Amino acid sequence: MDEQKRAQFKKMLREIKNLPTLPGIVAKLGRMAEDPDTTTEQMGRVISKDHILASKLLKLVNSAFYGFPQRISSLNSAIILLGFNVIKSLIISASIFEVMEAQDVELWEHSLGCAVVCNVLARHLGVKDPEEISTAGLIHDIGKVAIKMELPKEYEMITELSLEKKISRLEAEREILGLDHAEVGSWLAKSWNLPNKLVEPIACHHDPQLAREEQMASAIVHFGNIMIRGLGYGHAGDIWVPPLNNKAWKLLDLAPIDIDPLLQEIEEKLWEVKGFSLDIQTEPEGMA
Amino acid sequence: MQRILLAQTAPGMILAKEIFNPDGMVLCGAGTTLTPSLIERLASLDVVDVTVEGHPVIIEGEKTLHEELREIDLRFHRVEDIAPLMYLKKRIQAKMVASRGSGTVTK
Repeated sequence: MDEQKRAQFKKMLREIKNLPTLPGIVAKLGRMAEDPDTTTEQMGRVISKDHILASKLLKLVNSAFYGFPQRISSLNSAIILLGFNVIKSLIISASIFEVMEAQDVELWEHSLGCAVVCNVLARHLGVKDPEEISTAGLIHDIGKVAIKMELPKEYEMITELSLEKKISRLEAEREILGLDHAEVGSWLAKSWNLPNKLVEPIACHHDPQLAREEQMASAIVHFGNIMIRGLGYGHAGDIWVPPLNNKAWKLLDLAPIDIDPLLQEIEEKLWEVKGFSLDIQTEPEGMA
Repeated sequence: MQRILLAQTAPGMILAKEIFNPDGMVLCGAGTTLTPSLIERLASLDVVDVTVEGHPVIIEGEKTLHEELREIDLRFHRVEDIAPLMYLKKRIQAKMVASRGSGTVTK
């Protein structure tokens, strides 16, 4: 791979034109959150001005990805219960979901499934803010969407190369572009000003040992991706379960006895999200 | 264990899981045998799907257990040297076998 070519793809991907920018509301809420005088009601009012976003938010909050035991029916209680960081990552998920769902249904299912597994793992491990880890799982492959939208010709070449040489999509990306979807995804996440808790797991989901600050979150998304591929739920470009990183595995500290109950819980939650869509027009009961 | 639509149920099937109403109250416990009147009542309560024991409904185009197990093998083909993943594979396969009911295959 010559450096020049890599630099050229890098430039094209960094200039991403076809992916929508995050709604301005995210920046506005960010500013509000920094102001100690901001009240929950004020924040709720800002979100509810965007009816579609508000109903999507409530639909997501009440879906199995986040696994809250009770139905949350108002934005204010959602903000109080979940805190601002989670609401922010939910708004981001709601926006990104839209792009992914329209682009590639099977990748979308893989991402949904990964979010579910990450949530189950995070809760099992007693990690703080499991909702953020679910969100990281949800968008870990966003780089694939970007490559597909920005470099459609190369995307096809990657698919062909991976089939022809029987190599993983990741290896084919590195061969053709000189970079991979994890790296692309992390640029995107950074350009959206997402917190490091989301950026690092995206960047490191194939190489969790490279995570510097968010080692646990990266390890969870790494293993979440492995589990959902092992279960064959959705499709992420090739069929193979990727290798497990030993350092991440040690960090997770799972015992053989944990696996069956985890699989059971994951299966139940996957049933619940089967066919989940943010399209609120077709499912008006999702609106609260 | 199989999750099926209420419309696919038949008297004699046994619930593998309780049925909840939207408020989270149990309508019907696990282990209950379905009867014509019970199915009718569940329909009137807008229950859409239930989980029953075994694998009583054959869905057109559904993979056989043998095919499912082979696909799991294939997916894990490249990580055969990683012990924790081989254990994960075994448990996923065991779960698949169990979900199809005993039938002709034993664990």
